[in-house]
Amino acid sequence: MHREEAFALWVLRACALFLVVAMASLVAYLGYQASGLFTIDQVSLGEFLTSFRFDPDLNHVGAAVFLLGSLSVTGLALLIGGPLGVAVAIFLSEIAPPALASVLTLTIELLVGIPSVVYGWLGLLVVVPFVRATSLTSGFGFLAAGLVLGVMILPTVVALSLEALRAQPQSLREGSLALGATRWETICHVLLPAARAGLGVAFLLGIARAIGETLAVQMVIGNASVFPHDLFHAAATLPTEIVLDMAGAPPGSLLQHALFAMACVLLGISLLLVLLVRMIARRS
Amino acid sequence: MEYFLRRRRQWGNLVALACFWMSAILVMVLIVALLGWLVWSGASALSWSFLTSVPNETGAGGGIGPEIFNSFYLLFLTLFFTVPLALAVALYLEEYAQPGIVASAIQLAAEALATVPSIVMGLFGLLVFVFVLRWRFSALGGALTLTLLNLPTMMRMTQQALHAVPGSLREASLALGATKWRTIIHVVIPGAIAPLTTGIVLIAGRIFGETAALIYTAGVSVSNANPYDFGLFHPAETLSVHLWYTHAEGVAVDAQRIGSGSAVVLVAMVVIFNVLARLIGNFFRRRTSGR
Amino acid sequence: MKTFLEQPPRNGDETVVKVAIEDLNVYYGATHAIKSATLRIPRQRVTSFIGPSGCGKSTFLRALNRMHDLVPGTRVTGRVLLDQTDIYARDIDPVDIRHRVGMVFQRPNPFPKSIYENVIYGAKLQGVHRRSDLERIAETSLRQAALWEEVKDRLQQSALDLSGGQQQRLCIARVLAVAPDVILMDEPASALDPIATSKIEDLISALKAQYTVVIVTHSMQQAARISDETAFFHLGEIVESGHTTEIFTRPKQKKTEDYITGRFG
Repeated sequence: MHREEAFALWVLRACALFLVVAMASLVAYLGYQASGLFTIDQVSLGEFLTSFRFDPDLNHVGAAVFLLGSLSVTGLALLIGGPLGVAVAIFLSEIAPPALASVLTLTIELLVGIPSVVYGWLGLLVVVPFVRATSLTSGFGFLAAGLVLGVMILPTVVALSLEALRAQPQSLREGSLALGATRWETICHVLLPAARAGLGVAFLLGIARAIGETLAVQMVIGNASVFPHDLFHAAATLPTEIVLDMAGAPPGSLLQHALFAMACVLLGISLLLVLLVRMIARRS
Repeated sequence: MEYFLRRRRQWGNLVALACFWMSAILVMVLIVALLGWLVWSGASALSWSFLTSVPNETGAGGGIGPEIFNSFYLLFLTLFFTVPLALAVALYLEEYAQPGIVASAIQLAAEALATVPSIVMGLFGLLVFVFVLRWRFSALGGALTLTLLNLPTMMRMTQQALHAVPGSLREASLALGATKWRTIIHVVIPGAIAPLTTGIVLIAGRIFGETAALIYTAGVSVSNANPYDFGLFHPAETLSVHLWYTHAEGVAVDAQRIGSGSAVVLVAMVVIFNVLARLIGNFFRRRTSGR
Repeated sequence: MKTFLEQPPRNGDETVVKVAIEDLNVYYGATHAIKSATLRIPRQRVTSFIGPSGCGKSTFLRALNRMHDLVPGTRVTGRVLLDQTDIYARDIDPVDIRHRVGMVFQRPNPFPKSIYENVIYGAKLQGVHRRSDLERIAETSLRQAALWEEVKDRLQQSALDLSGGQQQRLCIARVLAVAPDVILMDEPASALDPIATSKIEDLISALKAQYTVVIVTHSMQQAARISDETAFFHLGEIVESGHTTEIFTRPKQKKTEDYITGRFG
């Protein structure tokens, strides 16, 4: 009896340990691969992060183009999906008749499950031709990627904002309305400020989802390793560059080291975002 | 003056409410239009032979049979690893671990693992399974990478499911002389089975659609030996990877048809998994509520 | 002697009717929560609603500033005349009504903002933007609510740092800053300790010099201490109403007497 107990506990412990080891080795392995860029290839961290010149054949591996590309595409997605997501969440929690709210929630939940490659496919067949027709360019580029990502982060932003709004006590709304505030004034002056921590979390997790997204972006952004001058031109992000060039990177080469270093940057940004979320959660 | 202010506030309110209605309608129309378009364009591409025949890399007329097979094969492999592992870690944290440095280290590792973007996880899989273990692109490597990717979510769902089992049930079992482990096996896990099953099906939907983590682990081609290959160490291109590859790098002449068909199959599977999760949840709820 | 209820409303009299409720019914879905209630509430008096819990007194109170509009599935019929105007008439904006009929809730519900921001919230909405005006309004309201001395040095602190009793007085100050005619209070002291309760009671007695106060209370002692008029509710109906002293000393209805003497409730 007791041997069984002890054995079970050891198995569970081993599994828990495996999780910690897996995460630690992920950081260690990727970090080690990336470090080759700075030790073997003698590229400086400053050059890697700030140089806009990416030409591995000529020993230039500045990742600033991709870093900036990632940040701007994410920003654009947030600009589109953020306000729309919060507006829909407000509609669901404050305005919608219950029946409509449940139908809309169900449709948005469907968006969560759709694989990112299908978003890319939809981008290819709907968004890109749409941008092409309105801008007289190829259609591939920042704007198309931002639109696709904006829709992709919508469910995340809606779900988390909704949670934040629904957590606000009804007495808060009544307090404001009983002072003669309109519904909009109540939402704008009382509800949104009260829920701002939760809304911040919704935006941060939306960013986290957008910045790591690979295929949906890769299929519509046009993949050019230059930073474009406007929204309608091809660009690239950290994940799209990794997925495209990894296949052709010989093991131990400068390019491979650079790609692993870019993966580390991406990992760092993601960890930072979640750290921020934790800090917000702890404070409120 | 007061009259104008009142008017302005009334109008502001109406305009704001109208904006909220419009955003909601916009999103609704957008989703319905996109999905409708997807289904409409995909339906014409679907046929029995498309769903069952092997792909054609260069010419026209290729199908997606092996890809569908591989998607399910990888799904089951991944669940085979993910579910027990997640259950074990969750049990350890919920039932055994004392709050302290060990428990918080595990929790922290899980949270950190949950943030890893899938392309980064794919690179880790490439390093470990392809470079270090020299498996080349393989079904097993892909499944293990997906396991790491989905472990944190599955673990969190399992933890919530275990947490929801009332403590009085545990106490009742322990008071009857059962050991802790027996209590877990006979009382806690059966008590958590409903949310657990729902969680598994939801995770299954995610695994089915995952792409970025598989490109450099399970590969972008199907097995040479046999398209319907159960070999753990053979490449296993899934449906979602196929959809991407056909458009990103492929040279098949009827890429459009393959894309539409694959996309509609993927979305259909996601819908099926979602509905299934809901049905299972309802089924268990009805059974446990005794009606 | 006739109670004011049986007399026609007169102008210039000390018992001018501020709110007259005629044949009011409230339904929650299929539940008939208020059954044909008729009542007159005099100006610059404290009127209290008493009755066992679930008797409908809070529901009735919330009908007086159209708070039921916010709950889907709630239906109100009948008339509520505020200074002779039906607040349920089609062309009336509930927002205007709530300016004139303020409400204080059972649990203090300050906004998660500073004390100052809480007080001036309503005034700002009504278009007061000059800093000096807002500061004056804040001070006056807080003084009226007997809170000024306690918070004057920390107006910028969060209202959530105040004690429960202080929070409730802040909520009263917040209503006063909107300058309403009528203040509805839904068991304003039920969540507070005895000392905070007595402060709120003193405040209510002081407020009637300027405002018409309607208070729901579960405590008969409180009703007897602070109110001029009392209405007794039971099972969604107003069983009896009149001068507080008469209700408590010479109730006309058996049910009222039973309740007051503690035989049920």
